[in-house]
Amino acid sequence: MVVTFALPKGALLKDSIQLLQRVGFDFSAFLDGNNRQLQIADPTGQAQALLVRSQDVPIYVSYGQAQFGIVGEDVLQEKTADVAKLVDLKFGRCYMAIAVMQCSPYRSVMELPPHCRVASKFVRSAARYFRELDLPVELVPLYGSVELAPMTGMAEAIVDLVSTGRTLRDNGLVEIEFLYESTARLIAHPLSWRLHDRRIHEVVHQVRRCLEHGM
Amino acid sequence: MVHQLPTGARDLLPLDLLQKQWFEHRLQQVCHRWGYQPILTPTLEYLSSLLAGGTIDANTVIQVQGRNEEILGLRPEVTASIARAYGPRYARDANLGVQRLYYHANVFRWRGDQGQNEAFQSGVEILGARGVAADGEILYLLADCLESIGIGTWKLVLGHAGLTTALIETFPESCRRAIRVGVAHLDRVALEQLPLPDSLIDQVLTLLDLRGTPHEVFAKFTSLPWLPVTSLPELDYLQSLFHLWQGDCLLDLSLIQPFDYYTGVVFEVVLGDRILAQGGRYDHLLSHFHPRGTDIPSIGFCLNLEVLQQVCQPQLPQTFPPPDYLVVPQSEAELPAAFRLATELRLQHPKAIVKLALTPQCITQAKERGVSHILTVNDGDILEGGTSAGAAAQP
Repeated sequence: MVVTFALPKGALLKDSIQLLQRVGFDFSAFLDGNNRQLQIADPTGQAQALLVRSQDVPIYVSYGQAQFGIVGEDVLQEKTADVAKLVDLKFGRCYMAIAVMQCSPYRSVMELPPHCRVASKFVRSAARYFRELDLPVELVPLYGSVELAPMTGMAEAIVDLVSTGRTLRDNGLVEIEFLYESTARLIAHPLSWRLHDRRIHEVVHQVRRCLEHGM
Repeated sequence: MVHQLPTGARDLLPLDLLQKQWFEHRLQQVCHRWGYQPILTPTLEYLSSLLAGGTIDANTVIQVQGRNEEILGLRPEVTASIARAYGPRYARDANLGVQRLYYHANVFRWRGDQGQNEAFQSGVEILGARGVAADGEILYLLADCLESIGIGTWKLVLGHAGLTTALIETFPESCRRAIRVGVAHLDRVALEQLPLPDSLIDQVLTLLDLRGTPHEVFAKFTSLPWLPVTSLPELDYLQSLFHLWQGDCLLDLSLIQPFDYYTGVVFEVVLGDRILAQGGRYDHLLSHFHPRGTDIPSIGFCLNLEVLQQVCQPQLPQTFPPPDYLVVPQSEAELPAAFRLATELRLQHPKAIVKLALTPQCITQAKERGVSHILTVNDGDILEGGTSAGAAAQP
């Protein structure tokens, strides 16, 4: 049985490929700047990988096109896909936070006025958070450069992923609330996992062992 | 304007229906032979009835505004409707006893970003019976249903909601809800991060991995000192069930839902990465519809027709059978004689398909499809073989 991994384009790709290399699968061709292939086989023929947008990783896994996927917890919080979350891979550490302009009068979430505008790429995480707080807000869904929303006055606050905090600082924003921390996860198709396929369990076991011995 | 179907809605054209009926006919015969009776509940119910069992998420129900401000919903499954229909009947008639029911029905669901979806299910329920006999009957009936539609290699994944709940209750109350959600979603990462001492986390993770052949799982149970094995009647029950059910089975105690109306065995039938059928025991659901809140122990399963249709495609009928007789009136004047002939043929051959040629094209097509009897009616005479110039009706 050939094991298929769905790997995320972007920030987690390099660490994902390094981890899988240590487990014995070589997908380093994806890191070659000239590579245009979206599906490659490991030289041993034991595994293949699909290169997909990080938001699409849980979809490929839940539809069974890949037995495994590597994706950030932030994406899993946003996409409620039916996948088994097996291992915290510890890399790609960042966190979801609420930020406002430095000059804003609000210094905590509870000070935000009801029905104020909050911009985010992570609409579900944001909606869930404000619903739990029982604070009605108008969510403005954006696809990127979310910092511009408070800078231009379109929104009072943003809900966004922060890794170093530099983008926020450089644009005159300040964090006022921490929502949750996110790292990369190894996810699997739930039935593949339940049905106890030996190959699948071996991969998980090897990944765990690699993590215990340090990346 | 081009009128299109909403996402998730689908026309079933004649061939789709021929295939759907292929399944329904076979399943119906099996259910009939096991003594089950058909039932059909309405597509539309009060939303409150659909939600009464506490397990259906209102967001997954397609809601419809009723006339007097009431909110209705398209049924997302059939079991709640059957419970709604039978709860009050059990209250009225103390001697109602065991009811064995089967259904073929369409169900509707909101599926988040993918929009709404209409799907077809065939299912069975046994109301008013508990124990190994009823659960065993359901498993053997399920096997018989699958065999009748030519599915031989399937895997039964079976859990026990009552047993898993009892195991979760051995953990501190503050974490039970999170453990249940984590186990149901196979979220090992969330379970590892629970605010519990490491020794308890290890126990939680053991619970997540309690799966294997029944023999393996029972062996794991006896080797885990923290498990209250002796106070778990569900374990003895499962051993009795596996004494009766000898088929291939993966016992998986993580097979639960975050909100579950299942109280006893729960199961899925799996082929590759697809779920062909699912079901389980629900002993409390009918009490929500019983005026005195009395439990009526029940168990059932449903087969997912779309999945079966994909899996069984090679053996499904791919065309309608050609007619046995094509009656060709040579002119409009011959129509009365042609209708008489067709009626006579239908009487003589009750199983035969008798068609009337409405256009000359019908004769060409019939010849291509190898129709054995093409009967031309001309001047009151009936001649075997047709001439395409002949059909009375206009092309």
